[in-house]
Amino acid sequence: MSKVDFAVDPATIVGLIGPNGAGKTSLFNVVAGAFKPTSGKVVFDGQDITSLPANAVCRKGMARTFQVARPFGAMTCLENVMVAAVNRHPRKARPFIEGFAQEKLSLVGLADMASLEARHLNVVQKKRLEMARALATEPKLLMLDEVLGGLNTQEISLAVEFIRSLRDKLRLTVLWIEHVMGAIMQAAERVIVLDQGQVLMVASPNEVVHDPRVIQAYLGE
Amino acid sequence: MFAISVMNGLVIGVIYALAALGVSLVVGIMNVVNFAHGELYILAGYFSYLFASALGLNFLVAMLLALALVFLLGIVIEYTLIRPTYGNDMYSLILTFILSIVLQNAYLLIFGPYPNKPPLWVKGATDVFGLFSYGNQRLAALIAGAGVIAVTFFLIKKTWFGRIIRATSQDREMAELNGVDTTRLNMLSFGLGCALAAAAGVILTPVFPVTPTAGVPVALTAFVVVVLGGMGSMWGCVVGGLLLGLVENLGAAFISTGYKNVFGFIILILVLLVRPSGLFGRTKI
Amino acid sequence: MTGKQLLWVGGLILAGMCLLPLGLDIYPQHVLIVSLFYVMMASSWNLLAGYTGQVSFGHAAMAGIGAYASGILAVKAGLNPWIGVGIGTVLAALLGLGLGALCLKMGGIYLSLTTLAFSQILHIIIVNQYDLTRGTMGLQVPGLVAEYSKLAYYYILLAAAVLVLFVLYRMLHSNLGLNFRAVQNDELAAKSIGVKVLQVRVLAFTVASAMAGFAGGLYGHYLLLITPEIPSLDLQFYVLAMTVIGGMGSFTGPIIGAFALNILAEKIRDYGEYHVLVFGLIALSAARFAPNGLLGVWRKLRRSTAHRTVN
Repeated sequence: MSKVDFAVDPATIVGLIGPNGAGKTSLFNVVAGAFKPTSGKVVFDGQDITSLPANAVCRKGMARTFQVARPFGAMTCLENVMVAAVNRHPRKARPFIEGFAQEKLSLVGLADMASLEARHLNVVQKKRLEMARALATEPKLLMLDEVLGGLNTQEISLAVEFIRSLRDKLRLTVLWIEHVMGAIMQAAERVIVLDQGQVLMVASPNEVVHDPRVIQAYLGE
Repeated sequence: MFAISVMNGLVIGVIYALAALGVSLVVGIMNVVNFAHGELYILAGYFSYLFASALGLNFLVAMLLALALVFLLGIVIEYTLIRPTYGNDMYSLILTFILSIVLQNAYLLIFGPYPNKPPLWVKGATDVFGLFSYGNQRLAALIAGAGVIAVTFFLIKKTWFGRIIRATSQDREMAELNGVDTTRLNMLSFGLGCALAAAAGVILTPVFPVTPTAGVPVALTAFVVVVLGGMGSMWGCVVGGLLLGLVENLGAAFISTGYKNVFGFIILILVLLVRPSGLFGRTKI
Repeated sequence: MTGKQLLWVGGLILAGMCLLPLGLDIYPQHVLIVSLFYVMMASSWNLLAGYTGQVSFGHAAMAGIGAYASGILAVKAGLNPWIGVGIGTVLAALLGLGLGALCLKMGGIYLSLTTLAFSQILHIIIVNQYDLTRGTMGLQVPGLVAEYSKLAYYYILLAAAVLVLFVLYRMLHSNLGLNFRAVQNDELAAKSIGVKVLQVRVLAFTVASAMAGFAGGLYGHYLLLITPEIPSLDLQFYVLAMTVIGGMGSFTGPIIGAFALNILAEKIRDYGEYHVLVFGLIALSAARFAPNGLLGVWRKLRRSTAHRTVN
C-alpha cells in the first residue's frame, strides 16, 4: 500500500470498497496493529497508535472482525464472548461477566446457542459470534470485514438494520469492508475506494457509484 | 592434534549436513519436524549390519537395500501418522517424539543393547598431506557424504522434481493451483528426508557403531544445524553442519570432552535469540 | 457437574485416597507415591501443552532443577530439605520465567527446540559437574521426615498433589483460564479482542515450571537419591505420554493418565522391561486416533448415549 490517507468521523458508517487485492484487509491489519506500516501514522481519538500491538489497540477502543471468522472453536459461544468481556472488565465478578456476555449474544441473535461449542456453528452464526465478541470489547470503532458473505437478501437487510442501530444507539463508528454493494450504498454515509493499494476517492455512496474511475477499477479486476 | 580434530570435524560435519538436509526438506515442504529422524538414521545402520553380516550380502548392496527400506518406511510413516495431522504442528511434534521413543525401545528389544557394526568398506589408514595418518574408512565416509550431498543438490536444484519441491516449499497454495499433487509430494518428500537420514546412517555407522539410542544426538544436532543454517536453505545445512562439526571437535579437543554436545545447544539458543532466520534462511517459515 | 457436586465427589475421592495406602504393602505404596509425582508433572505440563499450546520438552529439566537445587543445598549446606524444596520451586519458577520470556517471539517448533536444548544443556551440566552432583552415580540426600516411613511420604505427596491441582483448578476457572484457552484456540483472534497473549504464555510457563520444580524437589527427597534420570528425556516422555493418553487440554485427563500408566507399568514389569515400548505404542495410537485421550473417549461414549439435536 502507498499513499493511503483518510479520516473517519465518529458515529458514522464508512464503507471501504475496492476490487480484490486492493489492500482492504491489509489496511485493516495495519490499523488494528497486526501489521506495522513502513511509514505513516495511525491516529485514533487523538492518540498515535501506530506502534501499538493488536491487543493494546483493542483496549484503546478499536475492535475488528475477520474476513474468515475465527471463533475459539473448542469453547462455547458464551465463553467466546466472555474472553472479550473479562479483558474489558478484568475486575468484575463472574456473574456480571456471564450476564454481560449473554446480553451481547442476545444482541446478535445467538442467545440460545450460548452453551454450544463454537466449532459446531455454521458460517453465518460464526460471523455473528465474531460480532458479539467484538461488541463485548465495548469499542468506539468497529471494523467489519465482509460480514455479509453468505447471507440471503432478507438476512442482509436485517444485518444492515442491525449495524445501523449500533451506530445510532451505541454511537459506534463503523469502518466496513464489503463486497455486497447494495448494503454499503444503503448504510454508509461515506465510502472510501481503494485500488491497488492507494486511495482512489472518498465520497458519498452516490458519487462513488457513478464515478468512472471506480467503475474502471472494478472492471479491470 | 589440531589437524586430526579438523579432519574429524569435517567428517562428522558432512554427516550432520546430510542429516540436516533430510530434516530441512521435510520442514520446508510440510512444516513438520521429524523427531524420529535419528532413529531412521540408526535403522539404516542396523539394516546395513544385518544384511551384510547376517545375510552375508556385499556391503554395497546391503547399504542400498537399507536405504531403500528406510525410504519405504518413511512413506509408510507419513501416510499413517503424519498425514492426518497436517496443519497442526503441535501434534506432529508430539507424534514424532513418541515415535522416536517407540523405535528406540523397539531396537532395544529386537537388536539388544550391545553395539553392532556394519562392515568397513576399506581398511587401514592413509597419510594425509604427509602430516598425519587418518583412518581410510573415515576418509571414505567424508567422500561418500560429500557425494550424496552433491547428488541431493543436483536433485533439488537441477531436476524437474526438485523444481516442484522448491516451488511448493515457497508457496504451497500457488503450487497447488498449478496442479501439484501436494499430498503425494508430502509423502515423497518425507520418504526422501528419511532416505537422507538413512544415507547418513549407512555412511557413518561403520565408523561409529550402532546402538538403540545412538540416533538421538544425531537428530538433535540435525535440528541445531537446520536452525543455524537457516530453515529452507540447503547451503545453510552444509555450512552449518561443517561449522558445528568443527566447533564440536575442536571444542572437545581443546576445552572439554564432556561438554562436547553443549556447544551445539548453546549455538541453537544463541541463534534463536539473535538471528532466528539463521545464517542463510528466509525470515519467514 | 455443578460446583457443589464437584466438591462432594472431590471430597470422597480425597477421603478414599487417604485411606487407600493403609491396606497396601510397601511396594504398591511406592507405586502410588510415584504416581502422585507424575500427577503433578503431567497436570502442570498440560497447562503448557494442553492449555496454552506450548509443547515444552524442558519440563523434566525443571523437576531436575527442583530436585538438584534442594539436594545440593541439603548435602553441601546442611539446609533443611523442606526449605530446600521451597528454594528449588522458586528457582524453577525463575528459570521458567526466563525460558518463557526467551521463547516469547518463537513459534511452536522453535519453542519446542529451545526447551529441548535447555533440557539437554542441563543434563550435560549435571552429568559433568561431578563434584557438585555426583554425576550419573547420583546424589544421596536426606529425607523429608526424620524416620523413614512410606506412609508419611505418601501423605506428603498427596497433600502436594492436592495443592498443585487446587492451584491449577482455580487458575483454569478464573479469567486467566479463559485467556489461556483463547490463546490456545486462536492466538490472532485472542489478540484482536484484547488478550495479552505474551503475558499469558509467560505466566503459564512460570507457574508450570514452579510446579515441576516443586514436584521434583519432593520426589528427590523421597527417593533419597537424585540422579540425572530426573531431568531426562525419558522422564519427559513419561510425562508427555501420560498427558496425551489421559487427555490433553482437560483437567482430569493427566491425573487419569498418570495413575493408569504407572499401574500399567507395574503390571508389565512382571514380564520384563517393556513398559516404555507399550506406553509409546498406546501414546502413538492415542495421539493419532484419540487426541483427547482416555477422557475424550469416555466423553464421546457418554455423548452418543445422550441424544442431542442442534439447530
